[in-house]
Amino acid sequence: MNIIEIKELKKDYPLGNTIVPALRGVDLAVAEGDFISIIGPSGSGKTTLLNVIGCIDFATSGSVKVGGREITALDDRQITAIRLNKIGFIFQTFNLIPVLNVIENIEFPLLLMKKSAAEARKRAEKLVEEVGLKEFTAHRPAELSGGQRQRVAIARALVTNPDIVLADEPTANLDSVTGASILELMRRMNELEKTTFIFSTHDANVLKYARRIVKIKDGGIEREPVAA
Amino acid sequence: MLLIRLSLRNLLRQKRRNILLGSAMAIGVAILVTANSFSHGISDIMFNKIMRYVTGHVAVRFNERGGVMREIFRDKERVLAAIKNEPVIEEADESIGMFARAIGNGRSDNIVLVGIDTKKGISKKALKEMEASFRLVEGQWKDVENASIENPVIISEEKARYLNVKKNDIVRVRFRNMFGQDQAARLTVAGITRNDNIFMQAVTFLELARAKELLGYRPYETGSLSLTIKDPQKNAFALAGRIHERLKPGAAVIYASAAGRAGRNPVMLLGYKSDNEAKKKISGILKLTAGSFEKAFKKDGVIVPSGLARTLGVSAGDAINIRYDRKFEKTPKEASYHISAVCSATGYPDENVILMNDSGFYDLYYEDLPAGPGPEVKPYSAARGAWDGLVAPEWILLKRTFNTEEYKRKYQEISRNKWKGTTIDVSTMYETASDILKLESVLNIITISAVLILFFIILLGVVNTLRMTIRERTREIGTMRAIGMQRADVRNMFILETFFLTLFSAVIGIITGFIVMRLLSLINFQPQDNPLGMLLVNRHLYFLPTFPGIAGSVLLIIAIAVVTAWFPARRGANLPPAKALRYFG
Repeated sequence: MNIIEIKELKKDYPLGNTIVPALRGVDLAVAEGDFISIIGPSGSGKTTLLNVIGCIDFATSGSVKVGGREITALDDRQITAIRLNKIGFIFQTFNLIPVLNVIENIEFPLLLMKKSAAEARKRAEKLVEEVGLKEFTAHRPAELSGGQRQRVAIARALVTNPDIVLADEPTANLDSVTGASILELMRRMNELEKTTFIFSTHDANVLKYARRIVKIKDGGIEREPVAA
Repeated sequence: MLLIRLSLRNLLRQKRRNILLGSAMAIGVAILVTANSFSHGISDIMFNKIMRYVTGHVAVRFNERGGVMREIFRDKERVLAAIKNEPVIEEADESIGMFARAIGNGRSDNIVLVGIDTKKGISKKALKEMEASFRLVEGQWKDVENASIENPVIISEEKARYLNVKKNDIVRVRFRNMFGQDQAARLTVAGITRNDNIFMQAVTFLELARAKELLGYRPYETGSLSLTIKDPQKNAFALAGRIHERLKPGAAVIYASAAGRAGRNPVMLLGYKSDNEAKKKISGILKLTAGSFEKAFKKDGVIVPSGLARTLGVSAGDAINIRYDRKFEKTPKEASYHISAVCSATGYPDENVILMNDSGFYDLYYEDLPAGPGPEVKPYSAARGAWDGLVAPEWILLKRTFNTEEYKRKYQEISRNKWKGTTIDVSTMYETASDILKLESVLNIITISAVLILFFIILLGVVNTLRMTIRERTREIGTMRAIGMQRADVRNMFILETFFLTLFSAVIGIITGFIVMRLLSLINFQPQDNPLGMLLVNRHLYFLPTFPGIAGSVLLIIAIAVVTAWFPARRGANLPPAKALRYFG
């Protein structure tokens, strides 16, 4: 069963008086529980595609179904609710909330979901243990290394049990060893939590972790090689 | 809770910026609280330390024959009955005072002689307040009762200095008594007070009974009554209304006997109103059988019904002798009048009634108030029908007014109408001195205007700070929105930050305000004959912070800050998440 179905997706950005096409009619279907890497050079449209799938950007035209629901016609409140309940995000620059410590960052989405503080804390503690940061729960992001921050981001993305986790260049700001460990962790969490992972990268070394690779170039899917 | 936690922690992120902005806000709040307390203090001085002693919280005033200076009511007990059983009344004082020219040792000045009743019981609270406002530096209050001293008085320190007199010196005074006659008296300085307020420096205290005697009052007569009550703001108007209701007058009746050539007969003397409108009505009602309306409508006009004239054996032009028992004197009162007109019984109020022009009638009535009708005499029942409103009442009860404008108009009316009877006016200090309340409002408006300008400048700071904060945290906003935070929550988070910053600043501002007030009130001013002395209590600035005043100031500032924060906060919240995440500041 497909968790994501994209048809004829186009996305244009205005740039002064001109329109720059970022996506030029993308068709893509993602099966539930998959672990996909979107690869392509800088400016190819990877981030735009992830943003549209993640409901943080809007398509100019085309159809995007997430969990069987067409998202292009939803209002901001509904879209935000989908982001909260169905999607987890991992960013290249970690994007943790600096005034919250590790455990608070992880439980943050649960509190937005109006879960009780105790329930949120319990789930966050489980995840913090799974990502190997049990000793750092009281640390603020500024007190963590890049790899540790990304682990926190992974735990935060997974804390709501989302259908999909989107990771935009999750290893770009990490050294190769840490990057590999992060991808290992993502893969492990994919297996453990049965969550669909889609991550973008332009690093050919990380492709070995993907079950499926989608190559994007100039705003279109070039070809879909079989995953390693 | 999540938003509150985030807002509070975010406040600590830009400590220096927030401390600077918060300090500016705290200074604004401190100014507002101080200024507000100062204007409240002025009102309190005016109402509770000046007006209270001048008029009381509620006053019952009398003006005989509409003479504004003739403040006398001839039946003290009657009016005291109207204020009996009122638990809100703390003190009821006869307000007996007069302007006088005082001549001391080589210098003269105006003073206000005020009668005080030291024999009457006084509550501890009233005594404490009195002693706080008028502190004796020489002598004792009881000295004004000393019968061995000629008219002992207690005079203010400033006035004594000006008149060049000291304790036991004689001060001569010239004044006009109740009836407009110039009088002179010798006063002995028995005590000296140091007063709170410049307004009170002219006040010279004299024992109430002596003051009344000097002014020409008899023991059963009274001047205006000043009532000090509990919680005047709450109770004054209601109490004035109740007293007013109880003072509604009946018809003024003298139960007398009249003697003519044929003998003496019981009669009732009534006054008829003698204004033009009343005279026109009366001339339409009565059918004269002898005499003329021209004579009857004169000040000493007397109208007798034909039946009574026959019984007494008199006719128009004849004299009759009137005799009646007086309410406060043992001997009866006797007076002679000439009959101006005799009329038929048709339309006449009662067969035993003698009608008198109200002007002459009140002369007799007020000079010696009559006793009641006696056990075997049928009391007069108020005239109905044609005579309704034509019979002179016991007094004229002035309508209640509720602000200074109405009050002024009422007194202008008194001088225009030339009332023949005594007017009674029940008023509160809120109408006699609502201008003072206006003064407080004006002071508050000036303060608030100044502070609003200050706050406008501060709030530009709030907007600027918030815009900078939002710009710095654009990616954070994008992250929160991407994670699933609704726009309203993002907006509220920034508004809460401003709210908490303002709240903490306000608390610090209030504390600062109290410290400033304390420091300012420690300064000892020496306002020698300076009107600014009215702003002082015991030579110190007086502040009266009130909970509603402070709470109002804080709410005003928080409301302004929150409204100001709304717009940049909404702009921040409305940023598209993808755009916010792309932002690099």
